[in-house]
Amino acid sequence: MTSESAKEEDTTRASPTHERLGTILYALRSNKGVLIGASLVTLLIVTGLAVFIAGILHGRITPYNPIQQDVGPALAAPSWAHLMGTDDLGRDVFSRVVAATPNDLAVSFVVIAFSLIVGAFVGTYAAFRGGLVDEALMRMTDIFFAIPALVLAMAIGIALGPGITNMAIALMIIWWPPYARLARGEALKIAHQNYIEAARMSGAGRLRILLEHALPNISVTLLIYASLDVGTVILIYAGLSYLGLAVRPPSPDWGQMVSAYQDYTFSAPWLPLFPGIVIALGVIGFSLLGDGLKDTLGAS
Amino acid sequence: MSFIVRRLFLAIFVLLGVATITFVLSHSLGGNPIYAWLGRAASEHPALAAQYVAKYHLNDPLWVQYYYYLAGLLQGNLGYSPSRGFVPVITVIEQTLPYTIQIAFFALVISLVLGVTLGVVSARYHHQIADKSIRAFYLAGICSPSFLAAIVLLIVFSLELHWLPSGGSVGLNISNPTPITYLPILDSLIEGNFAYFSSAIQHVLLPSLALALVNFGVVVRVLRSSMLDVMHSNYIRTARAKGLSENTVFFKHGLRNAMISVVTLSSILVTWLITGTIFVENIFAYPGIGQYVYQALTTQDYPGLMACTLVFALIIVATNLVADMLYVAVDPQIRLS
Repeated sequence: MTSESAKEEDTTRASPTHERLGTILYALRSNKGVLIGASLVTLLIVTGLAVFIAGILHGRITPYNPIQQDVGPALAAPSWAHLMGTDDLGRDVFSRVVAATPNDLAVSFVVIAFSLIVGAFVGTYAAFRGGLVDEALMRMTDIFFAIPALVLAMAIGIALGPGITNMAIALMIIWWPPYARLARGEALKIAHQNYIEAARMSGAGRLRILLEHALPNISVTLLIYASLDVGTVILIYAGLSYLGLAVRPPSPDWGQMVSAYQDYTFSAPWLPLFPGIVIALGVIGFSLLGDGLKDTLGAS
Repeated sequence: MSFIVRRLFLAIFVLLGVATITFVLSHSLGGNPIYAWLGRAASEHPALAAQYVAKYHLNDPLWVQYYYYLAGLLQGNLGYSPSRGFVPVITVIEQTLPYTIQIAFFALVISLVLGVTLGVVSARYHHQIADKSIRAFYLAGICSPSFLAAIVLLIVFSLELHWLPSGGSVGLNISNPTPITYLPILDSLIEGNFAYFSSAIQHVLLPSLALALVNFGVVVRVLRSSMLDVMHSNYIRTARAKGLSENTVFFKHGLRNAMISVVTLSSILVTWLITGTIFVENIFAYPGIGQYVYQALTTQDYPGLMACTLVFALIIVATNLVADMLYVAVDPQIRLS
């Protein structure tokens, strides 16, 4: 309803694309979930970027050095001096949580971007090519679907050895097949539409049809799927990190902090709680934003 | 029928694919596949290592090795577990799998009961306050890592309220039931060992609740949307036009058809629940496969990890088959096509 009325108001002055964008932004702004999601995501990205840039400049934005011990009494409860308390070695938990922000964000963005690009190409290619290529892709995705993502990532991760980069590679290897499957389905839907036939008849080659006509038309669906998927990658990466596959101590990482602090659940419950809650908040942010994008873009 | 046969072939193909992946991985561990079979033991027990090289033809061309690898798997030979004193991995799996099945079973039941109830309420009162609060509740669950849910439950029910035990599978000094079905809780019930039964139920409750809380949301989501779809279909209008009460229409005609989507979903749910056991069993010290995976991971017990990957895939493929059969049973359209 709201998007339609906004459209009517805009038609008098705006160009078609401009009008569409305006409608979308209007619908997004009036969605409370999107606002909460966007705020959480912005906070995370700004923090992540700030930590990253500070790292390059050899400075830090955290109140304490995240790996320095005894900056306060060990196992101190949250206070103004230590917002999330201190851990067993007297390190400031808030500083550690903030310092770990770029890890989860970088891994999920890299994995999603890779899956989007590779999945879109492979899926559309398979759909237009058909035959053996298509069959091989579909059966391969069947196999990938039978092993839980975390377990497969774990197995590949062990073969590669622990480390953030290796976990990102392991996730990239397993993450793109669903995207290829989705892209294939969408490409099959448009493969026989008039504008594709027209391009084909006008003598456009397969690659040109793929790049100029097919990909732009399926990109919205893929982007919506991807936006909902960022949170899932954060969760899986947090899981790998919890299992000790991502960073080596003393480097801070959210998942790894939860597993390192879980022995203190009864004596200092805030220790495993804070990093865990931050993971959940990040996932909630991306999930609300993705839901909002789906509702708005999917409808218009 | 042909649908099921096709699915069966797909299942076999998928398992073969998974075995191929673990075979490939076993060759990338430390450069020599012997590590994938024996882990550290390869250097500590040269005699055993030699025996394995001979048995699996590890000095032969890859395709020969692949053949003997598959043959070994079919005979249930999964190597030896360095993290458990070099007992055969298959024995460890036999000891731990029943506990994981127990957790997954209770988690599935809680997820379905919670998910279907809240999904029905959500659909019945959609866009109203009940629907919105339910959405907030399940969103918080879906977005939380299972280890967070486990720790929160541990703090609330064990540390603060002292209602439930904080870990283990059964209380101290309680005799185990004699294995009949090999599922301890079921066995204790058959045997009439109620001391074990009640203690085991108390111990399984928190871990399975933790798993259910992070996974039931997807049931609510799917049931709600398919319920809203169904309620706009023609046969619902017909049922209403016949003068049936709204409750009869909603539950007998609407819910019954919307439940088909939940059946399909159950197999995905099992995948997630099984994965979640890796974290939850570790936090609650529950002696299932999940805890073994964690232990194997931290001690570089490669044979155990490879075996668990295969077992997880086997469980998932088997659940998919069962879900397909249920699907055929509840949806006549599949049978006819």
